[in-house]
Amino acid sequence: MGITTTLSAARIEQLIREDEINYRNRSFPLETVLTVFRYGGAVAADILRFDKLERGMAHAKALIREHEDSGRAFSGGLVITANELTGGRGRFNRFWHAPAGGLWLTVVLVNTLMPASSALYSLAPGVAACETILEDIPAARLKWINDVHVAGRKICGILVETMRGAVSGEEYILLGIGVNVNNEKFPRELSESAVSYKQLLAGECDVNLIAARFLAKLAWNIGLLHYEENRILAEHGPGVLSDPARLSEVFTDSADHLLVKRWRELSDTLGRRVRFGHNVQEQPRFEARVKDINSDASLVLELDDGSIVTENSGEIVYLD
Amino acid sequence: MHQEDNIDFDEIISKYKADPYDYVDIHSIHTGRIRFQVEVGSQVEGVSGEWRHIPGTTLYILNRERNPKPVHSPTNGEISFIRDDLEGQFVEAAEKIITIKHPLTKREIIDGILREVLYPFVAPERAKYFFSMDIQSRIDRYGQREVFVKPGDELFTMSLMKRETPIYYEGEPGIIHSNYFKPGESVDQGQPLVGICPKNTLPLIQRIITRVKAEWE
Repeated sequence: MGITTTLSAARIEQLIREDEINYRNRSFPLETVLTVFRYGGAVAADILRFDKLERGMAHAKALIREHEDSGRAFSGGLVITANELTGGRGRFNRFWHAPAGGLWLTVVLVNTLMPASSALYSLAPGVAACETILEDIPAARLKWINDVHVAGRKICGILVETMRGAVSGEEYILLGIGVNVNNEKFPRELSESAVSYKQLLAGECDVNLIAARFLAKLAWNIGLLHYEENRILAEHGPGVLSDPARLSEVFTDSADHLLVKRWRELSDTLGRRVRFGHNVQEQPRFEARVKDINSDASLVLELDDGSIVTENSGEIVYLD
Repeated sequence: MHQEDNIDFDEIISKYKADPYDYVDIHSIHTGRIRFQVEVGSQVEGVSGEWRHIPGTTLYILNRERNPKPVHSPTNGEISFIRDDLEGQFVEAAEKIITIKHPLTKREIIDGILREVLYPFVAPERAKYFFSMDIQSRIDRYGQREVFVKPGDELFTMSLMKRETPIYYEGEPGIIHSNYFKPGESVDQGQPLVGICPKNTLPLIQRIITRVKAEWE
């Protein structure tokens, strides 16, 4: 099967209307579902498509700078997609293999959340990607924080960066999402650790349909961040806003944050023995067992001597 | 006027010699009912371990909504003040409840004096910080004190939940003299990350260090 679906805002709206609302309505009242989708409504408000780009993130930053320099506001929700990235880069400037056949997206959002909520931005694209991949590949799982793997082989990687507008002072959240779809040839160093839809399903998939499903689910998961922020503030009263320490406590103690709860359901990280490091490939720090995931999504690790370390950023490699 | 003329080193050094302690105030982290675990005169330890994974001495337990939370000492020293009149009572957030008298090391005394002449660049949020790739490569190549930064330079990458945020330097141009953070460890909001030294102040800094070391031998 070749590329058959046109990726457009209208197609994503149609998916939300015809599929997503019904799917979410199995777990939440319709009124809640519609509210969450309204909060996430900015996602994919505009879509730019390219055959080839050097880097989606770099292109998004250049567009933001261009808008800022000309005194125009840059509205959130823009999606940049390319069939191929020629200079894809991940964390620590690692080479990001992004040939034709894969799904390579950059999503730009304007950060309108409070710090306690915006710390969870990184979870939303991971949850959305895992939910999307699960529709075709039931073995897909989330690895902390937002990698999606199938039996230990990575099928989706996510990069999240922040950029501050030089003129407006707005904080922009840039989500870089890469999914191996119809690409099946990987560099030798990735051949054992990466996998694609095509390899797992023994056939080509509609990349644009997967992109549209992902963006529909991203709208839900970004909407959840806003919905939960409002819910928690409503439960604890507006006074909590004037007390940053209390506000942080309220979010940390909110064990039932819907996005974190969903992340837990999709992840197989809990209980695993892992190697941890900020840059775990080049500078691993220690090995431990994952004891818990806190409600702020930080990782609780138990070292061999029984002591506990809590990490709110970094990478893990599964050891068992 | 030269900066050195503005600083009375004899007075600063006498002050440190007369009272070589830092007095660390501990405030309640949130509202709740408090149970102290130390008393005036108690010796306490700070966080330790290779990964800073061993918590310090438990100072108090704060109980809110049947959720008891132990709070540990951030540093070593002796309890010099405690609001024991609040034992078992309800406390507000951010109330001063304990003071720890922390004995300063020579290194901390030098850092303390240098902070009066260095420009501190502080952490904007509680997160992990790393020098930006450009700054790190210059440090690796030339050494930290040969790296000059000016306003607008991308100095750090702030990492929180695998979200990377570039942090741009604002302040006096100068070299990176003192480094107060370790890559991979969380830094609290407002804590200094580096101390920047204008190039013409470097000889003064070196004289301070030499003098403090000599005075404390």
